[in-house]
Amino acid sequence: MSQVLDRSTPPEPGTRPALKLPHSGRYRLSSGLDVLILPRPALPEVSLRLITEAGAALEPERECGVAELTGRLLTEGAAGKDAMQMAGWLDRLGAAFTVSASYDVTMVSMHSLSDTLSGALDYLAATTREPSFTASETERVRQERLDEIERDRDEPSIVATRKLVTAIYGDHPYGRPSDGTYESVSSLDAESVRRFHHRRYTSAGAALIACGDVDAERLVAELEGRFGDWTPGTDRGSLPEAPSHPLRPGSPLIIDRPRSAQSEIRIGTIGAPFQTEDLYAATMGNAILGGLFSSRINMNLREDKGWTYGARSAFHFRRGAGPFVAQTAVETPVTADAVAEMLAEIRGMVTNPPSEEEMSLARNALTLSLPRQFETTSQVTGKLARQVIFGLPEDYWERYPERINAVSREHVVAVMERYLAPERLVFLVVGDAESVEPGLRAIGPTEVAAG
Amino acid sequence: MSTVHFPFESHTLDNGLRVILQQDCTTPVVAVHLMYHVGSKNERPGRTGFAHLFEHLLFQGSENVPREGHFKFIQNAGGTLNGTTWFDRTNYFETVPSNELDLALWLESDRMGFFAPSITQAKLDNQRDVVKNERRQSYENRPYGLAFETVIRNAYPPGHPYRHPTIGFMEDLDAATLEDVHDFFRTYYVPNNAALVVCGDFDSAAALARVEHFFGDIPAGDEPPPVDVPTVSGSGAREEITDRVQVPRVYIMFHSPSFNDPEFEAADVLTSLLTEGKSSRMRRELVYERRIAGEVEAFTWPTEGVGMLFAVATARPGVEAHELEAAMMETIEGLRTDGAKEEELVGARNRVRRALIRRLQSVGNRADALAHAQVLRRDPSYVNQAFARYEAVTPDDVDAVARSVLEPDGRTVVTVLPEASDG
Repeated sequence: MSQVLDRSTPPEPGTRPALKLPHSGRYRLSSGLDVLILPRPALPEVSLRLITEAGAALEPERECGVAELTGRLLTEGAAGKDAMQMAGWLDRLGAAFTVSASYDVTMVSMHSLSDTLSGALDYLAATTREPSFTASETERVRQERLDEIERDRDEPSIVATRKLVTAIYGDHPYGRPSDGTYESVSSLDAESVRRFHHRRYTSAGAALIACGDVDAERLVAELEGRFGDWTPGTDRGSLPEAPSHPLRPGSPLIIDRPRSAQSEIRIGTIGAPFQTEDLYAATMGNAILGGLFSSRINMNLREDKGWTYGARSAFHFRRGAGPFVAQTAVETPVTADAVAEMLAEIRGMVTNPPSEEEMSLARNALTLSLPRQFETTSQVTGKLARQVIFGLPEDYWERYPERINAVSREHVVAVMERYLAPERLVFLVVGDAESVEPGLRAIGPTEVAAG
Repeated sequence: MSTVHFPFESHTLDNGLRVILQQDCTTPVVAVHLMYHVGSKNERPGRTGFAHLFEHLLFQGSENVPREGHFKFIQNAGGTLNGTTWFDRTNYFETVPSNELDLALWLESDRMGFFAPSITQAKLDNQRDVVKNERRQSYENRPYGLAFETVIRNAYPPGHPYRHPTIGFMEDLDAATLEDVHDFFRTYYVPNNAALVVCGDFDSAAALARVEHFFGDIPAGDEPPPVDVPTVSGSGAREEITDRVQVPRVYIMFHSPSFNDPEFEAADVLTSLLTEGKSSRMRRELVYERRIAGEVEAFTWPTEGVGMLFAVATARPGVEAHELEAAMMETIEGLRTDGAKEEELVGARNRVRRALIRRLQSVGNRADALAHAQVLRRDPSYVNQAFARYEAVTPDDVDAVARSVLEPDGRTVVTVLPEASDG
């Protein structure tokens, strides 16, 4: 009979596995298109991503939403096939095809079985290189987009984030929704889409990424056949500089949604671009403030107070200075108290600097999690996409742990103090204005707007 | 044809705990997944939402693990973790670096064996508030958020275990007591009512020894009382509710083959023919050709007892709910009349195979699939057989399900309408 197991202390970890991250092979097609390939034959599937310099931040203001509309239309007629023929083609292949137009780039993602890869590449080339953009399909999809924008108004969490970024960035592209406004999408037509596609879907700055059950040389040859003569554009566009100070800090903005069961709360400001020396310190600070489940904001509002299902924060690093957003949804009566507690936690990062225990938890959570962030082929192509978008070196992820581990508590405090200074914070609540407004006046003069 | 097979071994400890080990050394991570065969269907009247509330309490520490310790220990190890509750089961899972397998086993075994002494009224009250806010956030304050609970209330007779939602109702959450917590733990959280799946980078023999080390001394309990899930024929019930939305949405539900049923895959393929891909029948007809729907989606819920097949469509502005419902039924009738075509099946098979392979890539999802197959089907090998079972679905199989399941008179319909504008 075995002894009674002593459970009182956690077991010691075994020897930590060496961090072995995969490296992709790099190739360049005749058109100048960069190709990154990482063969991983474990399962018979392939993840593909095509990145083009077609980010929403490069749209002219009056054409806000054209990147998203262009992305939606790629599948709606191409290479001499109409929308239904294209749909039948993809559905028979069984492949997954999605397009996302972020502020930085447009990314076309495909997932295919390896035995249908050749067909998937044909489909990818047809959609991205030869979309038809007929007037009738453009009109139909434009109307679908308008319907979606209307439906988004029903979601308090979406409304909150949209109104927040406008209150932070004003007219800068980051102040507009990346997929457009009702007004701007209303004014788009096939001509605007064609123009955007012609200018932005070129090999300039573009990259094709593949991970999965592939033979690299054969895949390069297949790609050369489909993208080797792609338009070698030169125009990569340029992003307007983000403002240095948010548009309307201080006075809480309330978007009235009478009889709401909860209030959606946002506290935000201008954060930092990805390429900043503060990247690692800001990442550490945010993990402690609101990035992890065990972060200060979540522990306070959820596990201590029970006011919410969850509270969190994030720096949205982009090529330009994307926003910092702290967010939660709380039961209506505690709205002002919750805002005050979140504000106190943000200030607390300076007045009550992170303990060594908090620093250690954040370091470990950020660095020891790397192996599982490279587990699936889609994860790998996603990481490679970040390397392309931000121009990161090959050894970026290998060196990530040492960079994180080098962050000092002083640097964390300094970064939080600089970016999250009280006078830079924008407050927004979507909820029942009559109930929440009196309490919010403690922060500053309130302004109520219709939903 | 590309297919895959995940070899695993299956054991039962003396206390009845089912253990499934699936070794895969591709990435130095390991998933630990503990699934208990208890869910909202086991709740007694007046205590809806309790199984899920209980799941929250299991993150509040146990005899040797402090409050919120699970999150801290796992995140400090670089891992990820969560728990979920559904009609038939509750699961707790983490994926950690492979050198931290012991940590995950220690945490899960401590709450299986030694949870009861640590629970307090204060922890219960706190998590009750959190769960009530989860209900507000994910259901009450979300457009169309109360539709599914309205569907099942109409689809099942009073007293049926699937008639109430897993999140539960506010007054029942308020009524939960510490005594309920202890009863529930004693009744359902016993090793003989659970399956432990370990998937990832380890040596199987060594891992089995570690599982035995941490779980072997937890005593078996009585077999939990079985729940009778009566088969129901279609209800034919309808209800209209209003919500703060701008366009109507129609939910049509049919009782369908359960996850255990030989016809489950055919029913699943049927939903794929209806709305998966832009050339699918309902999507093509309602979204593309007639342009009366903004979104359509059909899917099955893989329940252990009587299954559920949903078709959901959101109207375009200006389209009335009854018009949308009629169009949905026309598509469904069309499938029943004309029958599935072999060429539709070709695409459906490719999509299903690809989606299965993609889902089973990560050790966390694979462990989840093995646990579901073990707990709900008593057969973890289903994870590997699924490929061939979907591949074998013929147009005749789909037609048979369409005829027996999509019986118009038996459908349950819930329509969500925009509230009258209050200016």
